[in-house]
Amino acid sequence: MPKPLRYVNAVAQALNDAMAADPAVMLMGEDVAAAGGPFKATRGLLDAHGPERVRDTPISEASLVGAAVGAALTGMKPVVEIMFMDFVTLAMDAVVNQAAKARFMFGGQCSVPMVLRTPHGGGLNAGPQHSQCLEAWFAHIPGLRVVCPATVADAYSLLRAAIEAPDPVVVVENKALYALQGDIDVNAPRAVGKARIDRAGRDATIVTYGATLYAARAAADRLAAEGIEAEIVDLRWIQPWDEEAVFASVAKTHRVVIAHEAVQAFGVGAEIAARIASDAFDDLDAPVLRVGAPFMPIAFAKTLEAAYLPDADRIVAAVKSTLA
Amino acid sequence: MPSSAAQADPIPANPIPTDRRLALHRTMQTIRATETTLSRLFADGEIPGFIHLSVGQEAVAAGVVGALGPRDSFATTHRGHGHVLARGVKLDLFFKEIMGRAGGICGGRGGSMHVADLSLGVLGANGIVGAGLPLATGSALAHQTRRTGGVAVAFFGDGAMAEGALHECLNMAALWKLPMVFVCENNGWSEFSPTSTQFAATLDKLGAAFGVPHRKVDGNDVAAVAEAAAEVVEAARNGGGPRILECLTTRWHGHFEGDPQRYRNADEIAGLPRNDPLRRSAEALLAAGVEESALAALVDAVDAEIRDALEAARADALPDVDAAFRDVYTPTATLTAGA
Amino acid sequence: MTMVRELVMPKLGLTMTEGVLAEWRVSPGQPFRSGDVLLVVETDKIASEVEADSDGVLIETTIPAGETVAVGTPIARWSADGAGAAPAPEPAETPAAKAAPIPAPTPGAANARPLPAPVRSNGERILSTPLARRRAEGLGVDLAAVTGSGPRGRIKVADVEAAAQTRPTPQPAPQPEPQAPKIETPAGERSKPTTLQATVARRLTAAKRDVPHFYLAAEAEVTELAALRDRLNADTESGLQRISMTHLVLAAVGRALAVMPEMDRVWDDEAPGGAILALGRGDIGMAVDTPRGLVAPVLRGAAALPLDRLAEEAAALTRRARDGRLTEEDFQGGAVTVSNAGMHNVTYMTSIINPGQSSILGVGSVRSVFRPDAAGAPVLKRELGLVLSADHRLFDGVTALAFLNRIIAGLERPFRLLRAP
Repeated sequence: MPKPLRYVNAVAQALNDAMAADPAVMLMGEDVAAAGGPFKATRGLLDAHGPERVRDTPISEASLVGAAVGAALTGMKPVVEIMFMDFVTLAMDAVVNQAAKARFMFGGQCSVPMVLRTPHGGGLNAGPQHSQCLEAWFAHIPGLRVVCPATVADAYSLLRAAIEAPDPVVVVENKALYALQGDIDVNAPRAVGKARIDRAGRDATIVTYGATLYAARAAADRLAAEGIEAEIVDLRWIQPWDEEAVFASVAKTHRVVIAHEAVQAFGVGAEIAARIASDAFDDLDAPVLRVGAPFMPIAFAKTLEAAYLPDADRIVAAVKSTLA
Repeated sequence: MPSSAAQADPIPANPIPTDRRLALHRTMQTIRATETTLSRLFADGEIPGFIHLSVGQEAVAAGVVGALGPRDSFATTHRGHGHVLARGVKLDLFFKEIMGRAGGICGGRGGSMHVADLSLGVLGANGIVGAGLPLATGSALAHQTRRTGGVAVAFFGDGAMAEGALHECLNMAALWKLPMVFVCENNGWSEFSPTSTQFAATLDKLGAAFGVPHRKVDGNDVAAVAEAAAEVVEAARNGGGPRILECLTTRWHGHFEGDPQRYRNADEIAGLPRNDPLRRSAEALLAAGVEESALAALVDAVDAEIRDALEAARADALPDVDAAFRDVYTPTATLTAGA
Repeated sequence: MTMVRELVMPKLGLTMTEGVLAEWRVSPGQPFRSGDVLLVVETDKIASEVEADSDGVLIETTIPAGETVAVGTPIARWSADGAGAAPAPEPAETPAAKAAPIPAPTPGAANARPLPAPVRSNGERILSTPLARRRAEGLGVDLAAVTGSGPRGRIKVADVEAAAQTRPTPQPAPQPEPQAPKIETPAGERSKPTTLQATVARRLTAAKRDVPHFYLAAEAEVTELAALRDRLNADTESGLQRISMTHLVLAAVGRALAVMPEMDRVWDDEAPGGAILALGRGDIGMAVDTPRGLVAPVLRGAAALPLDRLAEEAAALTRRARDGRLTEEDFQGGAVTVSNAGMHNVTYMTSIINPGQSSILGVGSVRSVFRPDAAGAPVLKRELGLVLSADHRLFDGVTALAFLNRIIAGLERPFRLLRAP
C-alpha cells in the first residue's frame, strides 16, 4: 500500500515520471529549479534531471511562454509553470496567438506539445491579483485544452495525460488543494476529455471541477441527510468537456447545478448550461442553475474572501431550488 | 530615418566567390519578382486580406538565410516573404498559400502573415510584432538542450525594438548563452512612423546592456550581409552565445499593400532605387566579370518559375471547411495513454 | 398564545376607495405560506392578486367573494397556527398582504401575438418543464388538466405522472334519451374563465351595453408624417428615443386635446343620475400589446409633452407594460385612449371605449392609395385610417368630428408636432 501523497507531491511525481519517460520533456518557469517552485511542485527535479531540462527563467512571463512554444516547435515538450494564474495575462500572446494557433495556421504541419501549469483559486487571502480563476478564457480559444484536476490521483494522471497530449494544454491546479492528501495510481488511464462520476445520485446533478468538488461533496452529504441524492460529475477537463457524461447524468436526474469557483458570469458553467439547454432540453425538469463567484474581483480580507467563494450552502440551496 | 551604408560597420576585405554571389543574386531576384507579382495580384483583387512586402530588403533575407545550415531554424515577421523564399519554400506552395488555396503550404489557413515550413525550420511569419522573438529564443533553447548543433534566428523589424519581448529575450538568450542570432531589419519605419520617434535607445546599446555583441551592416549590400551573417551564425553555433546583427535597409512599399504612404517624404521614396540592393548586386557581378546576358537569363528563368507557380495556384482548389476543422487539434486517436 | 389577526381590504392604489373581493384563493382552515395568493381584488382598472406576507392559517372569511367593500374593511381572520377560532379579534391592522398587480386586458386591437405551446383552451400559457411536456405526450396526459406543483405553478414530471395515475378510466357514454327536437349544445371543450378573464368580459360587456357609442371614420394623409419620422429616426447621433407612428398619433391627439378640453371629460355612472367629470389633465391612454394581453396604461400629461419627452415616456411606459411592472396608478385617469393596430395590417379598427373613459381612437395601417387630384388624375397617397369611438352622452357628432379633424390636421402638418405644445 503506497504512502498517501500530497497533491503538490503528486504534481512533482508526474513531472518526474514524465521526464524520466521522455527526454524531450523539460520544465521552465520562475524559481522552478533551485527553489523547487513557490509551491514546491518541482522540488527535487533539478537534482534528478539537471539544469538544462529544469530551467529557472527570469521573471519574463511573455517570453518564457513564447520560448516554450518555440521549443515545442523544435522538438521539445516543455512544461511551463506560471506562478499564479493571474500572471498569465502577461503571456496571453504566446498562449492565444502562438501556441493555440500554430497547428491550425500552419495547416496541420506541426503540433505544439506544451503544457502550461498554473495555480488558480482563492482561500489563501492572496488578494485580487493572486487568486483568480481564469480557465474560461482558455477554454474559449480553439486549439487549447484545459484541465483542472481536483484530486491527488488526478493531479498525477491528468498532468501525465497533458504532457503526453500533442497539443497545448493549460493545467490549472487549485492552490488550496496543494496540501490535500491522497493516493495516486501511476498506471491509471490517462484519457483527455473524460469526466468522473464522483458520487452517484438520482435526484439532481452537480457538475463541478477543481476545488469546488469538495464544496459539492459537502453539499451532497447535507442533501442526503434530507433524502436528496445528488450526483456529482467531476468534469476534470474543461476543454474538451465530457458532454456525454454530463448529458447522461442529466438524463438520469433531470436537474442540474453547475458549480465552480470562477466568476459565474460568462464562465464555464454558462457554456455547459447553454449546451444542456440546446442538446438535453427535453430531459430537463427544472431550469439549469449555476453557482459561481459573484461579479467582482476577489477581495483580500478573510471575511470578504469567505463570502466570495462558492460554498456548500449555495450549492445546497441551488439543488433544492431545482427540486422546488 | 532611412539608413545609409555610411553608418554601417566597416566590411572586412573578404570577397565572396562569384558563384556564391550569383546564387545570392538569384535569391534576391526571386524575392523581388515574387513580391512585385504579389503587389500586382493584390491590386487586381486576386489576394484577399493584408500583405506586407519586403521590396528593397531582399539582401537581408538572401544574406542571412543563405548563411544558415539545414539544422537551423528561424522565426520571422509579418514582412517575412523574403526569408521564407530564401529558405527554399516551394514557389507554387507559397503562391497557393498567399492566394488562399487548398494546396498552400499552410492549406490556406494562414496566408501571407503566417507562411511557415516546419520541415525547413521556418517557424512561421507572424502577425504579432515581436512575437517571433520568443519563438526563436525557445527554438534556440531546444537546439541547445537537444544538442542539435542548430542555431535559431529571430528576424524582427526596428518597430519591434520597442516591444518588451526583445528585452526579455535578449536577457534570456544572454543568461543561457543560447545559439541564437537576433537579426534586426532596420528600415527606419515602425509601421507608419519613423522609428526615431518610437525608440529612445539604439540596438547596439541595448545589446551591450545584456552583453550581447552587436554588429551593424549595410543591409542593402548582400555580400556584406552574407559575410556578417556567416560570422555571427557561426559564433552563436560555436557556443559564443547570442549575437545581434542589425541590417540597415529600405522599405519601398507601404506598411501594407494599399498604404499610400502619405507620411513619407516624396524625395525619400524617389531616392530609394539609388540604394537598390538588386542593382548594387548586379553591378558588383558585372564588375566581377559576369556577362550581362547571364543576368538577363537569370531574370527570365525566375520569371518563368513564377509564371508556373502562379498558374498552378490559380488552378488550385479552394480550401475545404471540414478539412480546416481537422487542423484545430491533432487527431485524437492517440489521446488515451496509460493502462 | 395565538394572536388572531384581521385581514382588511387593501388599498392598492392612491385613488382606490373600494374594491371587489373577486375571489378567495384560500379556504377557512387552510394554511398558507408567505407569498401565497390569498385573494383577488378588482378595481375598475385592474385585478390584483393579494399575497400573504407571512405564514399562517385562515380562520374564517367575513366577506364572501363578489362583494364590494371599502378599503380597510375587515374581510377575514387568520392566525399563525390556525388556533383561536373562537375569537376576540385583535384590532384591525394594516393588511398582512402585499399586492401583485395583474394588468387587465382592455378592448381594442386583437392580440395578434402567437403564444407558445402548450396553452389552455383560453389561450393562457401552461408553465411546464420540457421533461414534463415530453412525458405528458408519452402518457397521453392533457397538461391543461394537470395542476403544477413547481414555482409559479410550473408543471413538473411528477405532476404529470400523478395525473396519469388518477385519470379516471373512460366510462361508456350513456345512451341519450330520445327527445323531441332538441337544441344542439355547441361541441368543444368547456373551461371556467379565470377571474381576470371574467372581469374583462364583464367590463367590456358593460361598456358596450351601457355607453352609447357612436363612430366617426376618416383618413389622414401621412406621406409627410412618415417622412418626418424617418428623418428624425435617421439622425441616430442625437441619441434620442426613436419616434414611432404611435408616438406621433399620441402627439396629435395631445395637441387636439389641449385646444379642446371638453374632450377631456368622462361620464360618471356612479353618481346618482350621472355626473360629468372634467379631468383636464391631458392624460392619454395608450393600448400596449403585452405577453399577458392588451393593456391600456395612461401616459400622464401627454397633451403638454414635447414630442421627444412624449416618445421617451411612451417608450418607458410600453417597456413597463411588457415587463408586467405596471401599477394601479398607471391605469388612473384619461378620457381618451389611442389604440394603434397599424402593425397588424388592418384598415379601420372600430374600438370599444375603455371603461371609465369617453373616447378611443382606433388607428389602422398606412395604406398606399390613388386619389384623384383637382383635375381628376390619380395621385399616390399614403393614408392612415382613423376611427374615433365616442360616448354620445358627452359629445355630439360635431364636437367629436372637430376633435378628429384636429387630430388629422396635426398628422397632415406634422411640423406642428415639433413645436412645444
